Amino acid sequence: MSTDRAELRDATRKAFGAAGLAPALDTSWNTVTEMGALMMAVPEDLGGLGLGREAVGVIHTELGRTLAPGPAIAQMLVIEALCAADGLAGRQDLLDRAIAGEIMTASLARADAWGALTAVPDADRASHVLVVGEGRVSLVPLEGAAITARETWDRTRRLFDVRPTADGLVLAQGAAATALAGRLEAQMLLALAGDCLGGADAILELTIEYLGTRRQFDRPLALFQALKHRVADMKTWLSAAEALFWNRATDAAAGVAELGALKAHAASVYRAITEDAVQLHGGIGLTMEHHCHLFLKRATLNATLGGDADYWEEQAGRAALRKAAS
Amino acid sequence: MTDALETLRHDVRAWLEANAPKDWRATCTSHEGFLATQRGWFAKLVEGGYAVPHWPAEWPGGGQGLAEQKVLYEELARADTPRLLLSFMSTYHAASTLFEWGSAEQQAKYIPRILEGEIWCQGFSEPNAGSDLAAVRTRAERRGDVYVVNGQKVWSTMGQFADKCLLLVRTRTQGAKQAGLTYLLLDLKAKGVTARPIHQIHGDEEFAELFLDDVEIPVADRLGDEGQGWAVAQSTLLSERGLTLLELSARMRGALWRIADLIRETGREDDAGILRDFGRLATRIDAACALADQFLANRIAGHERVGDASLVKLTYSRTLRDFTSLGLRLAGLEAQYHEPIVFGGGMETGNWMADFMNSYAWTIAGGSDEVQRNIISERLLGMPREPKTWTLAGDAA
Repeated sequence: MSTDRAELRDATRKAFGAAGLAPALDTSWNTVTEMGALMMAVPEDLGGLGLGREAVGVIHTELGRTLAPGPAIAQMLVIEALCAADGLAGRQDLLDRAIAGEIMTASLARADAWGALTAVPDADRASHVLVVGEGRVSLVPLEGAAITARETWDRTRRLFDVRPTADGLVLAQGAAATALAGRLEAQMLLALAGDCLGGADAILELTIEYLGTRRQFDRPLALFQALKHRVADMKTWLSAAEALFWNRATDAAAGVAELGALKAHAASVYRAITEDAVQLHGGIGLTMEHHCHLFLKRATLNATLGGDADYWEEQAGRAALRKAAS
Repeated sequence: MTDALETLRHDVRAWLEANAPKDWRATCTSHEGFLATQRGWFAKLVEGGYAVPHWPAEWPGGGQGLAEQKVLYEELARADTPRLLLSFMSTYHAASTLFEWGSAEQQAKYIPRILEGEIWCQGFSEPNAGSDLAAVRTRAERRGDVYVVNGQKVWSTMGQFADKCLLLVRTRTQGAKQAGLTYLLLDLKAKGVTARPIHQIHGDEEFAELFLDDVEIPVADRLGDEGQGWAVAQSTLLSERGLTLLELSARMRGALWRIADLIRETGREDDAGILRDFGRLATRIDAACALADQFLANRIAGHERVGDASLVKLTYSRTLRDFTSLGLRLAGLEAQYHEPIVFGGGMETGNWMADFMNSYAWTIAGGSDEVQRNIISERLLGMPREPKTWTLAGDAA
């Protein structure tokens, strides 16, 4: 791990440390804005830190780790789109407000369906929503829009269906909009993959801790080889997925297809680990008072946000077929 | 990628175009063909300066960094050259153990001969030891200037073709199991040595059993002190964990065309289910490669943790099983008709049943998947170790 990455990770983990798992939305959002998470990828001349995808990867991994609520992924998409909107009047003002924490949100459904504006985090608190349509990316004010709350199984996320009434500000058009849409989708997929791997790492650690303290048949569960081997398998798949994550997060050439395959892989690892975690916790893992279900539900939501594994694995298969022919 | 690496890639590729053996797969369906191909290809690589990139810089072809080695492996895989199965133990296990533990005399005596083609094998495993290396029972008794060795070794890769052997023996039966081991360099031509090939489930004979009957080994051919064998053996084993897996993972990625070809040949380019399985496999192979890369970068930076190598090996062995399983499934009934196997064809020869069966060699050899899982859970994750309440059979109570 690079020193920069390790430092940023430690700082972020420390910032979220006190709030514990699945902190309250306001607390969590304050932490996100105060630690500067929203300005990481913003170029320095626009008031940001000018750090790249790797820093964004660290942030989302850590947010996933604590099961942070809030629209961080959507907000960073809006910020990315604003950064790209060179000619937009009043851009700096919008950008400053977004970086300072005024909620501007976006759909986390797969790009094809973005125009439909489903799965929009925290839309009821947002001033704007990003709309990615055919040949056009715009930022639409939410006054007067129809906003329907959709209660999710994942209690750590609040999602809405949104039907805007206004046209909004055009951030990009034509070919530029298509290119931007691709970049936004790539960033969403990377963020979701990071969320998955951070969460997977956290629940794996909690599970190992539990196995070390819970005693059955006069010894800790951690002494049973059947359980140790399951945990070792989880750690192995997680480690490989993490290596792939950092590999693709730092590869400027990694496009939507590669990041989609990464997201599908990360989500399947997350799901497998949360499912095993419930099983290894036994009865307590089935209750609402314990943390297992929070991870399990976030994992299953992550698996569908941004496009599911069926879609991305098929794309990856086609890409591999093309590559092998070249 | 830096300019220097691009230049290296270009050079290696050009060299391979001129020098890589062409029809070796057809030749390697017999043992004679296999041996001739392996010896010829190794000699060529030595001549080209590409045989031992991982050796220290003072040796011809050595002193290459990790990034350079990776480029070389990728190009070797791309050119579909034979893996150096025959000289693998010599250039990795024997050489790195000698570099670390050998005296100046021992290094001068043995290392140059490796480049001349001398073949080494490893005599660690025993019929009743398997992955439990400390349970070695082959006995060595010191008599003056020699050790007299009696016992049996098994799973010695390429042992039937080898000239020399890295031998782990027991010089003491009392006390801790590990403390009674000693490391010797055995000349397989010595009196009392019998090597017998083992027929594996896919028909190849990559391994041999070694029978040692009053074999005399000079004390001068001991590596490390008497009783230090366990520590020396750990260096030998470490040499294969890492670089090898980097090469093998890269080769597996390079072999994805075999599955792509099968998908096309069977007209399943638009079968969404097959495409998903293929896409999932390709991503897992990328993850295995990324993990191997990361492992080596950490090792070079001095950040390797005990157990990291096990993560890499377990990932590789399970991914290889997935790879060969998908090929086997796509090849259908055709894969069930016996075809001659290609000796030393790498792990992915396109003979899917053979490749599938061979994948078990990776989930068992070099510490089984289960042993790796123990190491990961106990050493890396800090879970408690199993209580050890047993002793060696035959030990004094």
